[in-house]
Amino acid sequence: MEQLWAAPAALTVREVHERLADTRELAYTTVMTVLDRLAKKKLTERERDGKAWRYRAAAPREEFAADLMRDALDRAGDRREALVRFVGQVSDEEAALLREALARLEDQAG
Amino acid sequence: MITPVLLAALALVLTGPAPALLARSSWPYRIPRAAVALWQAIALAAVLAAIGAGIALSYSTAGQPGEPRFDPSSPRDLLAAAILALTALVLVKLLWAAGHVAVGTRARRKRHRDLVDLLATPDGLVPGLRVLAEETPLAYCLPALRGARVVVSVGALDRLDDNELKAVLAHERAHLRARHDLVLEAFTGLHTAFPRWVRSEVALDQARTLVELLADDDARRRNGPKPLARALVALAGSPAPEAALAAAKSSTVLRVQRLAGPEPNHPLLAAGTYTVAVLLLVVPTITVAAPIVKALVDAVG
Repeated sequence: MEQLWAAPAALTVREVHERLADTRELAYTTVMTVLDRLAKKKLTERERDGKAWRYRAAAPREEFAADLMRDALDRAGDRREALVRFVGQVSDEEAALLREALARLEDQAG
Repeated sequence: MITPVLLAALALVLTGPAPALLARSSWPYRIPRAAVALWQAIALAAVLAAIGAGIALSYSTAGQPGEPRFDPSSPRDLLAAAILALTALVLVKLLWAAGHVAVGTRARRKRHRDLVDLLATPDGLVPGLRVLAEETPLAYCLPALRGARVVVSVGALDRLDDNELKAVLAHERAHLRARHDLVLEAFTGLHTAFPRWVRSEVALDQARTLVELLADDDARRRNGPKPLARALVALAGSPAPEAALAAAKSSTVLRVQRLAGPEPNHPLLAAGTYTVAVLLLVVPTITVAAPIVKALVDAVG
């Protein structure tokens, strides 16, 4: 995926494989499977080029990251409980109450 | 004619005053597990009672079960049929809403997991933990039958020491292990099944708070209350750009205050709550089933 983000144009499986070969030993078929899976997840887009598929990232990295954060912070206006957050943000008053309660706990022995 | 009135009254009490009263009391927070069961029983009993009222009403209009005398020319019988149809419609609407929420939740979660797998790096030491390169302090879990993930942002890691991180992970794993997401999903389904002007946020909000308390209790048993309370304060109290957006009344204060108190242990209160939950489910079921069973027995005998 990094290779697709780095590349200016859409890449074939062979091109991705060649670029990866410098740093990692990967089988051609592995690269093909991974790219195919990424396309099914709509993370990459692909187009026919003769007999081969050309793959391109569906969006720049920053855009995916922004998507992820929007979803994680529940700002999409979607009330479904897709993920369970550890803790939400609190207001200033609540933060003061929090510190107070924590101080009481810290004072306890043990 | 008395049964449908009683059932309708029960349904109304269970959708309006009972949840409001329960949400205002603080004793459920002492026994989160039993309280979740009670909320589930209230929701289920309300649905059963409402449906039971519809069925019973159509009985009392159209004659006893076992001796149907449906006469299309009589307005009474037509009314009974209409009531029965309406009841069925409510049931269908409920099931549809539940299915809709289940499918939607899974789709959103799958997309989110794909993005996490693409952007976050797996932590070498803790299996299932993904680290996001984001400054906003974030910690959450993505429940799944297989391949559940716990996601933590770099911003959160910076604010936590080792013990606090352990407490956060224990909390999230408790969510994943107990499938708290399914509890919330059921309440979300129920919530969305009703039109905006009759539904209330109470049950869903309470369920959210109670599962957090459950996970807190689990983490507390493993690591003690202090690391968890520190982690909560560190992550919630830290200034974040989105602070204003999540300014809704949160349960965080309650959670930390609860950790500062003695470890909850109220077996009697829990047992009483479970008993009420069971009774809530049994009474409307028997009321609806009794005339049917009686008719069957009469028919056989």
